[in-house]
Amino acid sequence: MRLYDPTSSGPERNLFRAPPLPALEGRTIGILENNKLNAVEMLHEVAALFEARHGCVVRPVYSKSNASAPAPAEVLAKAAGDVDFLITGLGD
Amino acid sequence: MPFDSRRIHDVPDDLLAAIDYCYEQGWTDGLPVIPPVVDRVDATLAFEGRPPEAVIATHPATGLQLTVHAAAVNAVMAGCMPEYFPVLVAAFEAMDKPDFNFHGSTASTGGSAPLLIVSGPVADDIGMNADVNLFGPGNRANATIGRAVRLILRNVFQMIPGISDKSTQGNPGKYSFCIAERSRSNPWPLLCETQDYPPGVSSVTVFAAGGFCNVENHGGNTPEQILLSVADAMANYGCITLGQSVVILSPERMRIVAGAGWSRSDAQRFLFTHAKRSIEGMQSVGKYRDSEYDHQHGSNAHALAEAGFVHRGMTPDDILITMGGGDAGGHSCFIPSWSRGRGSIFQHKPIGVCIDCV
Repeated sequence: MRLYDPTSSGPERNLFRAPPLPALEGRTIGILENNKLNAVEMLHEVAALFEARHGCVVRPVYSKSNASAPAPAEVLAKAAGDVDFLITGLGD
Repeated sequence: MPFDSRRIHDVPDDLLAAIDYCYEQGWTDGLPVIPPVVDRVDATLAFEGRPPEAVIATHPATGLQLTVHAAAVNAVMAGCMPEYFPVLVAAFEAMDKPDFNFHGSTASTGGSAPLLIVSGPVADDIGMNADVNLFGPGNRANATIGRAVRLILRNVFQMIPGISDKSTQGNPGKYSFCIAERSRSNPWPLLCETQDYPPGVSSVTVFAAGGFCNVENHGGNTPEQILLSVADAMANYGCITLGQSVVILSPERMRIVAGAGWSRSDAQRFLFTHAKRSIEGMQSVGKYRDSEYDHQHGSNAHALAEAGFVHRGMTPDDILITMGGGDAGGHSCFIPSWSRGRGSIFQHKPIGVCIDCV
């Protein structure tokens, strides 16, 4: 009996993790808030820890209006040019 | 790496062993599947005009693609007859629209299931049920088209429970959630007739749905009494959000509403007006948010949005109403959106036609 495979067989995707930063000291942090309840408050608290512990600099907040959809490409492109790393997360 | 949508698994010529093989591969929703043998898949592909490699939908986060071929394989596994295939294809074309957000609605803790509402002559052509036991078991087309949606989300898009599907509780519709709109004795225009398709063209509407809420009202004998029951269900504290709604009126209840001369638009406006909670009430259960209220009551607020209240949805058009179910019984239903706001919006597509070619 010959069965077709039901899983995706699309072209290979070129996905990879960004290389880790060698150190956090003095780096710039971006905050991507997702419009979830309490998200921006929680993310600012996290960023404050990076400021206090590693002397990081916090840049303005980037937002996406839909928590459950991927961030718009232009938002990510701008963040990539502005900051060394980005923190995000759910707040509810 | 060349694109290959036709990977083959050679298994022993034993049907029960093949069913077990599908389980072992992680290809099922927990129920046995029809092993996707080559001949059945090819027969299904005959109902789609595009080549097997054509892409129907793409996962916005991972880039995984649903090809015509992969859709056909999963349709066979779900138990679909080949003639059901155009409905499944149209459903994923609708789900692929960015505003439907099938990634978010499937991945979310909200436990959403895509509800498919098939409208128009194709429903009868392929033997779908729009009548007794509308949301229940017993009809092959309803059951297997809905099931194929779930298998594709799982197998093609890898929305795996506990990994990329983080539903807190899920809902039974995640096995299958597909109905036909009842055309027999329906006093209102069918959905496909309101969606600007040419006459005779059927459609499928997709809705990222929460769980099913029965609305029982056997005693009401006016449109207001019947629809107030529905509005109350829509506004219960567990459900009320700015999201959209589906309401399926039973034929018995529809006869009263439409018999009094109410149009679909009349019913939508009545429901929007009455499906509301006060700010104080929302605050009492911890669900009030200034930003949501301001969104609903801002410069683009609908004229029926009442100051001091949070309504379900943003406008009356956020409430899809039609008729379905058996002739007897005062049981209608309300189905809330997964989205608490605008995270997923109804979408629809024509079935079996390229609308630009019509």
